[in-house]
Amino acid sequence: MIVNRLIEKAMQKAQGAQAALGRSESTNVSFEDDKLKSAGVAQSTGMSVKVVVDGKTGSSNTTDIDDVDGVVARALEAAAFGSPAHFEFPGPQEGPDVEVYDDAVLPVTKEEMVRIGEEMMALVKAYRSDILVSAGVGKSVSKAQFANSAGMEYTTETTSFGVGVNGQWVRGTDILLAGHGFGWKKRDIDHGAIARKTIELLKMAENIAPIKSGAMPVIFTPEGVNVLLLALRLGFNGKNVFLGSSPLAGKLGEKIADEAFSVTDNPLLDYANSSGKYDSEGVPHQVTPLIEQGIVKNFLYDLDTAGRAGATSTGNGVGCKPTNLVIKEGDTPYEEMVKNTKEGLLVHNVLGLGQGNPISGEFSVNVQLGYKIDKGEIVGRVKDVMLAGNTYEALKNIAAIGDKAEWAGGSLLTPPIQIARLSVVAK
Amino acid sequence: MVLLVGLVRAVFWRLIVMREKMEKALRNSDAEYTEIRIENVTCSWANFRGEELDSIGSSRTLGGIVRALVKGGWGYATFNDIGDLESRVREACKSARIVGKEESKFAEVEPVVDEIRAPLEKDFREISLSEKKSVIEEYNKIILGYHDRIETSNVAYGDSFRKVWYANSEGTYIEDERPDVGVAISATGREGDNVQRGFESVAGSAGFQVIEGLQEKAEAAARHAVDLLSAPPVTGGKYTVIINPRLAGVFAHEAFGHLSESDFVYENERMKELMVLGKRLGSDILNIIDDGSIAGLRGTHKYDDEGVKTRKNHLIKDGILVGRLHSRETAAKMGEQPTGNARAIGYQHRPIVRMTNTYVDKGDATFEDMIKDVKLGVYAIDMVGGQTSMEMFTFSAAYGYMVRDGKIAELVRDVVLTGNVFETLMHIDMIGNTVEWPPAGGGCGKGGQSPLPVGLGGPCVRIQNVIVGGRQQ
Repeated sequence: MIVNRLIEKAMQKAQGAQAALGRSESTNVSFEDDKLKSAGVAQSTGMSVKVVVDGKTGSSNTTDIDDVDGVVARALEAAAFGSPAHFEFPGPQEGPDVEVYDDAVLPVTKEEMVRIGEEMMALVKAYRSDILVSAGVGKSVSKAQFANSAGMEYTTETTSFGVGVNGQWVRGTDILLAGHGFGWKKRDIDHGAIARKTIELLKMAENIAPIKSGAMPVIFTPEGVNVLLLALRLGFNGKNVFLGSSPLAGKLGEKIADEAFSVTDNPLLDYANSSGKYDSEGVPHQVTPLIEQGIVKNFLYDLDTAGRAGATSTGNGVGCKPTNLVIKEGDTPYEEMVKNTKEGLLVHNVLGLGQGNPISGEFSVNVQLGYKIDKGEIVGRVKDVMLAGNTYEALKNIAAIGDKAEWAGGSLLTPPIQIARLSVVAK
Repeated sequence: MVLLVGLVRAVFWRLIVMREKMEKALRNSDAEYTEIRIENVTCSWANFRGEELDSIGSSRTLGGIVRALVKGGWGYATFNDIGDLESRVREACKSARIVGKEESKFAEVEPVVDEIRAPLEKDFREISLSEKKSVIEEYNKIILGYHDRIETSNVAYGDSFRKVWYANSEGTYIEDERPDVGVAISATGREGDNVQRGFESVAGSAGFQVIEGLQEKAEAAARHAVDLLSAPPVTGGKYTVIINPRLAGVFAHEAFGHLSESDFVYENERMKELMVLGKRLGSDILNIIDDGSIAGLRGTHKYDDEGVKTRKNHLIKDGILVGRLHSRETAAKMGEQPTGNARAIGYQHRPIVRMTNTYVDKGDATFEDMIKDVKLGVYAIDMVGGQTSMEMFTFSAAYGYMVRDGKIAELVRDVVLTGNVFETLMHIDMIGNTVEWPPAGGGCGKGGQSPLPVGLGGPCVRIQNVIVGGRQQ
């Protein structure tokens, strides 16, 4: 394997080395403004090397997989004045089983992808012909090799498949955008259901509902839950914890959320986007509870950060970022959540998430796709509305958690969540 | 001396080979239009987080894309192995034939042959990683030593030198050099659970000199992080807002710029009605311009990624919609001229309609004029980011000051502005008298292509009735 040649070459001058190589081919078709617009194939190759020399690390990568000498030389150059290494490369270990390859993906032809797109478009057009529809269908197959100087070695082959469809409805100066998509490592996606979800989102938005400023209960759909999760993604990052920029630093074992709230980092869900046997540093993946019944359980670490913080890698390398997040189901059916709301907001998608100071938990976002709830019913779409709050305050203030988790994208599995009161500013 | 001549010859020979290879491959096309873009990119980076260097390294990328047009449908192929361009061309043509079902429309442009060299002054490719590291190490030390409430820092250096070869089936052949270098400086202050951030960035399509001498920026980032710890969040509501030049550029880009990108309009009858040229969109003092030909800015190129020369495009003149941004396809379909705005972030992407350097043109107000009659308002400073869904937009200030009874008052944090393009542009009532182009880093994202370097500029701008997000009292 090329990765072994990279390691061999690097070890002539280094005391430790890690190498990875990847090749992938993806095929996509896209539809814009009601018609098929483009189709194509993307092939890519790349390899990367990380070395440790005299306790310091350096890295380099290239798309030229013949340039073994060059990429190693550049990594060694970087290591000469590199960052201090606080880790040792892991030795051979067998990772847990998880499904990441589906035989049914490779044989899908461009023509079949075109047909899937056409069917989704036809469903949305049948709902309203004056909605302009865009859609996309894509697949890919990737192969990767990994090796390090401690003897850890693996190869993996993964597939992915995804579909999405969006509608745009322009009435006067009102522009409504709504859509739905899903992608994971498996061919099995009901594209009709994706189109029906898009139609549902559009249908609920037919009327524009006025809303007054004030504090009110807010339900986040599974997609909308991302608003609350951004601060947690940053806050549970072991590097932010170690450096003290996470407000969760020092709070292991503390209760920070309602006891109905539990969230887990899970890279072992079959076919989920971020699933796999090992992380990018060759550490076996594991399931890591982050919050259990409102209590902070663990932070996420890669090798180097774990070394700095006196912790062990949780298999979240490189970067201490979450893989797939799973939020535990509650006991309130979604319909009941809506029915029990006298006046409130249902939030599906926002603009401006991550601007400002997300790690502090603060969010202040424009509700790009959200709905007014009046006397237990969804009465229409809201416009020109800002939603503001703090994730950490909101999580202590959970009114209900849905009893059914759904995929929101291919790496978040969550029920809808209702927060008792959040600030809404309307014009 | 002999060696030098040899070197020049070798380089010259390689370039000739690239052109011949591309033109030979293009002759394999049976599409109506075909183009090949090949890029060789060298990058290096270094970044400090807290006391320690977090990562340092470099990368080399060689890759290309073929794009072919058949009966109005596009096919493409992207690749890292540039050895067999002929079969990539055939593959792109094959994909295009699956798609194409109507008549192709593609604006005519005069073919050009050109070679562009980037004036770098201090070429960052010749500067060692250790020197790059020591420049940011100094900035990092300034932050960490600023105050005992500074918890941590994140100082990142990055450069890329992009060499682009472009050839199309109409005879255009362009070699372009696109350098980009920048530093992002972030300081984190903390007091108990209160975590605040100060942020500064500088970037340019230039040499290493643009990121030297930023000691004051490092100190400013640290100062903001500490000062914001004791600043209250802004109270949500509707205010008169004055935005500074850096935010005015974001405003021009987010609040209006994206709506002027014709790929949102050209096949959409209702958007065409909404965005008909000659329509009043803003107050009569408002002028918004996109110009990809201003020397030295991050969104500047001589040609776009379809070989069309960039130019100054008035979008709003005296409050009236007068122009929009085009690719060759959108221009042809709307019966307008191409504007040089088809851009791709790299070889893995097809060019789409993008802004270059977008700005609000100067007016005649002084800053004093703008604040003196404001009873209660917000002076919003510098950007953290912005986003739009075409009609609605939002953008975030790094910080702000309340304006009370005509005077700058207390510092406030979490200042996020939102609006509706069709209302907000009409609510601009004063525009400052000097356009500035703050050399900020970052970039624009659209259609999965992010970050694309863009220039953002303007004077101070005053807007009435802006919704500022936040909790209410």
